[in-house]
Amino acid sequence: MEQIFDSLSQFWQFTGFANCTWQHLVMIAIGIIFVTLGIVKEWEPMLLVPIGFGIVIGNIPMFPGLNIGVYEDGSVLNTLYQGVRQGWYPPLIFLGIGAMTDFSALISQPRLMLIGAVAQMGIFGAYLLAMAFGFAPNEAGAIGIIGGADGPTAIFLSSKLAPDLMGAIAVCAYSYMALVPVIQKPIMLLLTTKEERLIEMPRPRTVSQKEKIVFPVIGFLCTAFIVPSGLPLLGMLFFGNLLKESGVTRRLANTAGGPLVDVVTILIGLTVGASTQADKFLTGNSLKIFGLGLLSFVIATTCGVLFVKVWNLFLKPGRKINPLIGNAGVSAVPDSARVSETVGREANPSNHLLMHAMAPNVAGVIGSAVAAGILLGFLG
Amino acid sequence: MKKSVSILLGLFICFLLPAQNISDLIISEAMPSCSESLTDGYGRHSAWIEIFNTSQGTVNFAGCYITDDLSEPTKCQIPKGYSATRLGPRQLAIFHASEDNARGVFYLNFDILPGTTVYLISNDGRSVIDSLTLPEDLPEGLSASKFSNDAKELVFDELRAAVPTPGLVNGKHEQKSRAQSVKETDPHGFILSIVAVLVVFAALLLLFVIYNISGNIFSGKYKPASSCDDETALAIALALHAERQCGDDMAAAIAMALHCHIEGGVHDAEPLFISIVGNPSSPWNNKAFTLRKKVRQI
Repeated sequence: MEQIFDSLSQFWQFTGFANCTWQHLVMIAIGIIFVTLGIVKEWEPMLLVPIGFGIVIGNIPMFPGLNIGVYEDGSVLNTLYQGVRQGWYPPLIFLGIGAMTDFSALISQPRLMLIGAVAQMGIFGAYLLAMAFGFAPNEAGAIGIIGGADGPTAIFLSSKLAPDLMGAIAVCAYSYMALVPVIQKPIMLLLTTKEERLIEMPRPRTVSQKEKIVFPVIGFLCTAFIVPSGLPLLGMLFFGNLLKESGVTRRLANTAGGPLVDVVTILIGLTVGASTQADKFLTGNSLKIFGLGLLSFVIATTCGVLFVKVWNLFLKPGRKINPLIGNAGVSAVPDSARVSETVGREANPSNHLLMHAMAPNVAGVIGSAVAAGILLGFLG
Repeated sequence: MKKSVSILLGLFICFLLPAQNISDLIISEAMPSCSESLTDGYGRHSAWIEIFNTSQGTVNFAGCYITDDLSEPTKCQIPKGYSATRLGPRQLAIFHASEDNARGVFYLNFDILPGTTVYLISNDGRSVIDSLTLPEDLPEGLSASKFSNDAKELVFDELRAAVPTPGLVNGKHEQKSRAQSVKETDPHGFILSIVAVLVVFAALLLLFVIYNISGNIFSGKYKPASSCDDETALAIALALHAERQCGDDMAAAIAMALHCHIEGGVHDAEPLFISIVGNPSSPWNNKAFTLRKKVRQI
């Protein structure tokens, strides 16, 4: 009888109840909130649901040494986590993004690329602020990339520059990407007048298939020669787009933009979530990262909108740009472009800005990959 | 003609490709035998030398020689026919001076003592590729290491006694990380930010210029969508207006014809586009074909 009690007592020590701390409960609550927001509010459900559930998985209290945790070498979760740790997943996601994205809007209106460049100010604004907050330059660079509003890029760069902060940075980047409509809309309304919101832009010209095929090749050569350190992201992005546009590799493009990107999204979301174990995540640094991440989004949106307003001063009537597409310079594709469309239609229901906003939006993807390459080159 | 062009092209490519060059090898580190020196594959402490490939290409050093006596340059030949003798870019190979080179590829048939000069000889048996002299007064437990003062070019021009690092690039572990260097040179991050912003702008500006030029070229070739669509829409609107007033199907047909004319008679399979099939037997004005309804839907 005594043996049975001893065994039960020993078993109790292995359970989550015996090892639970308040930090575990906080993290599980955060995970459940993420899942709820994804399902109920439909805020980036493809990301928030896997990340949220990953947070729950990673924070189940357990007896150490069972070799099942995400940070324990050789465990299943650890093996899956290597894709994040070593940076394999982000380039694969970029391959999928390239295979799914139509760059016509950008090709037909190349001038809008400059908005995508300006919006990267969020990255460098956050970098400067992080340095002022006492982070080391490599950590500041990893935090700054949150301002690019690009989850895979944030994971890629933080895995190289500051692996210890990667969990917080990834969760922060994806959370704010999900909150793009909430963050950007008030800033856009605050910085624009009603007349500016009514500006109608000329329809973009038709883009030929030849142009679409040439774009990824030229785009890759130009950007990769300038920033070779961004090669994994830029190469995969443009390669994916070439698969899509070439017309002869439809099966590969469908796989890259469909099943492959879905599998990697599941793995990246789940393992990033699982990496946010309470003891590593609930720190003062994480709070700072969340604050800086929010500021970086604000800076990026503000710079984008203000840049268009200033630019409009030099443009002839009929060529003016609606400043509501300034927010789309961040690379949250296509969420920030959708925000431009929504806010634009609230001002003028017949004014569709989506196609125009997609140009700075995809330029933002290229810009954030270039920015990540620069930071990696200087700080890696 | 084609053949000669191919040969010339081949030669050109060969010229561009980096050649495998044994002269890119250096003896980067050496250590005499002592109780703290490296153990060989047989578990014995032996003297050792480290060969480093400074180039960006793979170098095969099979057939080269290592000697401690220039009067006998072919004292110990590195065996041929082993893949292990192919040294990748910035890779290292360790040779144990165990006085018996029959033990394996990476064993030498002589010992290395303080004051010894070790030579790496080319596979011609004459040319000295590199040498390293161990100081007479080398403290026990330390190795003679060549250090680079140029991290990029890896010019190993400084020989000194150091903590042995067999299998590691000398001094690499002592170098500051880039982040540390940035911290010292740019404590607030302003310089990096300005440079990075300029580079991002340069990259996207370059793309902008290229696509602006290509866009101008292509837009001359391809009609702008706006004008075409506007004309079509205007023609159809006028025809529909006329149709309402006249009450016959003629206006719709005119609209169709205009649309077909403006579009260059190209039939488009995409949805929401009107497509006219040039079939003379088709009674286009028959209401059973719901032609008018189609027009109104637009």
